Amino acid sequence: MSAPPFPRVTAPGRAPRRGLAVLAVLALLAPAVAHAAKVRGRVEGFRNLLNPVWADARDPKAHGYSFREQVPTVRAEFRRLFPHAPKEICVAALAATPQKATPPVLVRVGGGRTTPVTLVAPPGTRLTFQNTDPFKHRLYGVGINTFQPADTQRGGSRDWSVPGPGTFEIRDELAPSLRMWVIGEPTVAAIAYPSMKGDFGLTVETPGDYVVQAFFAGKKVGPAIPVKVDLADVDLSKSPLKVGDEKAAAAADKAEAEKAKASDQAPKEGGAK
Amino acid sequence: MLLSRFWYVVLALLLGAGFFLLNIASSMFNRAGQLSLAQGLASDVQVVSWYLRDDARQRAAQLIPFALDPDMAKNLQRSSDSDSRVPGDARAKLTEVLKRVSAQIPKELAFDSLFAVDQHGRVVASFGYQASSEDFELGGYPVVADALHGYVRDDTLVLDRPYRVVARPVEYDLAAAPAGAIVGARVVDDRFARELSQRTGAAIAFYAHGQRTAAAAPEGFTVANLDQIVGDLADLDQDKEYKEKGRSAVRVIGTLLSVQYTRLPGEAWQLGAGYAVARAPAAVSGPFGFFGKADDKDKKAGNLIIAILLVIVFGGAGIGFSVLEHTRPLRLFKTEVGKLAAGAIEQLTPSHFRGIYRKIASDLNDGVDAILAKGGGPRRGPADFKEVLGDLPDQPQMSAFSLPGDSAPGEPVSDPSSPSQPPRGLPNAPSRPMPGPPGGRRPRPSPQAPDVAPVGDATMPEGGLAAWGSGDPDEAEWRGVFNDFVALKQQCGEATDGFTYEKFEANLRKSRERLTQHHGAKRVKFSVYVKEGRAALKANPIKE
Repeated sequence: MSAPPFPRVTAPGRAPRRGLAVLAVLALLAPAVAHAAKVRGRVEGFRNLLNPVWADARDPKAHGYSFREQVPTVRAEFRRLFPHAPKEICVAALAATPQKATPPVLVRVGGGRTTPVTLVAPPGTRLTFQNTDPFKHRLYGVGINTFQPADTQRGGSRDWSVPGPGTFEIRDELAPSLRMWVIGEPTVAAIAYPSMKGDFGLTVETPGDYVVQAFFAGKKVGPAIPVKVDLADVDLSKSPLKVGDEKAAAAADKAEAEKAKASDQAPKEGGAK
Repeated sequence: MLLSRFWYVVLALLLGAGFFLLNIASSMFNRAGQLSLAQGLASDVQVVSWYLRDDARQRAAQLIPFALDPDMAKNLQRSSDSDSRVPGDARAKLTEVLKRVSAQIPKELAFDSLFAVDQHGRVVASFGYQASSEDFELGGYPVVADALHGYVRDDTLVLDRPYRVVARPVEYDLAAAPAGAIVGARVVDDRFARELSQRTGAAIAFYAHGQRTAAAAPEGFTVANLDQIVGDLADLDQDKEYKEKGRSAVRVIGTLLSVQYTRLPGEAWQLGAGYAVARAPAAVSGPFGFFGKADDKDKKAGNLIIAILLVIVFGGAGIGFSVLEHTRPLRLFKTEVGKLAAGAIEQLTPSHFRGIYRKIASDLNDGVDAILAKGGGPRRGPADFKEVLGDLPDQPQMSAFSLPGDSAPGEPVSDPSSPSQPPRGLPNAPSRPMPGPPGGRRPRPSPQAPDVAPVGDATMPEGGLAAWGSGDPDEAEWRGVFNDFVALKQQCGEATDGFTYEKFEANLRKSRERLTQHHGAKRVKFSVYVKEGRAALKANPIKE
């Protein structure tokens, strides 16, 4: 149902040592975890969002294909290039005060994207990028001096720490479709990724007042929902996070349809004419 | 001479015209070659582009049997329904479906790799691709994402190497989102390039990340030449057309290769991957560059036999004119001059020569005569009777039958016994003997009259005066004239065979009678001279 919290670093080469370190962290946090509360909720309207990478790629001017045609049996609502929520929409519980850096986070690099695609983490959090593809990647941070392009071979990994507050975009010189957004948020207390149906569950360790906010493609989407966390679990299902507007999406679809119609009159090939 | 000079002009004109035409031809050939090359390359690029698109469509059509397979849709849906992990049996069943259906695909449209992808983007099953882990996924690529959202399309991915990829959705429940997608990939390798080259006739090389990844060329084109594009790829980013439109202008690498680059559609476009279509430039370096470019067929069209015949005819004509107008006259002149030098002849005969040689011979003779007249050498001309003997009497002073020694002293006839007084005009140096009478016999001086003038002796037959017999009063004089005339004819190179005194005397007699009647002269004096290189006789009527 709910997505796991920060993925833990279990890089194959360093699994035993790193596993022990994670266990040590968990042991230190054990009393708090024991009293952690679950905040369950639901994300609505994420099918009204548009994955920016795929949206760019469908533009004929991007020369991303020589032909691209609809399969008529697929309903129009599913043809919208909505994001894959379990990887791309990050739901964060933001506290009123800055939080400690979390344990290292494993980011899988493979299949033309990262997992997760959107990540909210306190500054100083170390990210470990692990290459799961059978070929190398060359990741870099857009405008980030501390993350210059460098090869990550098959099965290899690369570390990088969130330098501070703000939004950071990670790209791959060898895979144009790979774009990841890291939001440095000092007050983030917990994050979760919704399921395909939009359900999510946040594990908040410390009781207090929080706001639940969804992030997508480096930006906040939808309104934040305030939540007071005590020892008991909280269910926000009745007031879901609305991350996408149906009317706006319909308008976007209409514009896209007109654009596609216009492009049908032009040569269809995305490549050289 | 005129023919030779004309021939030289003709040859010079032909040579100049030939060189000029060759230069024009090479320039026109190069220009036409460049135009043809550009058109050919553009055509090749277009054909390759069409082929790639058509190939992608045909391969996409081959994915339909996978998408329609019920086991495929069912198991992909099962996998998509599981957020956490892929059901193990779904992997096995989908792998079996991939193998079963791919076996039915025509060989020329077969895929190198096939992937069954669920809604999460996870590769549930694959065929022909060695994934690095079970978590291998493809969901981030736009081509797969599009398929998962209901589109069929192609792409070119540059992973470990370039792949031509097609994908289409797999539907299980038409009321729901597609259960997954089926993705087919074709490696862009030498085999792919070879197939493409065979079907399009183009020499083609694929490149990615600044390296050539695959190449193939039709027969007659060296594939290794396509390696030269590697050095040119670095400069390709400066090609504005290539950056904006994805197709470069025609670029010439070295002198061996003309290339046009085109970006591959898909993600490869952004990565600078593409293909180069190449042709060998059809250009010659100069007028003689045609020889290097011509193949056997061209050489056959060159009409070598006609060319050789032209060389023979024109060369032979030139040599013939040269021999006719230069060699032969020169050789003749050389021979005659040799005779003159050897003393075989007394002077050159201008009538034997033509053109300038005739003038040279005449001038040479005049020059020799002038030298002799100045005493620079023996006189080679015939003796002037008047100069030698002084004024002759109107009537001969001696009988035609008298002996030279019978003439009485004190008569007006010069004393033949006083040879110490050489005639005017004769040099003191011993002169050459006068030419003999016809037949080559030279009359010897009579031993009885050694002091008789050589001229008189020269006309004396060996039998003495007894051999003279016409009885004409002028016979003695005419004999002398006859001898002079014969000698002069020989000097002029004229034939004297059959020329007898009797005929000569008959002619003189007729002339004397005609002149005496016509002019009322008492007698006619004959003398010899050279007229236009020939011996001539001059008649002088005397009225005293």
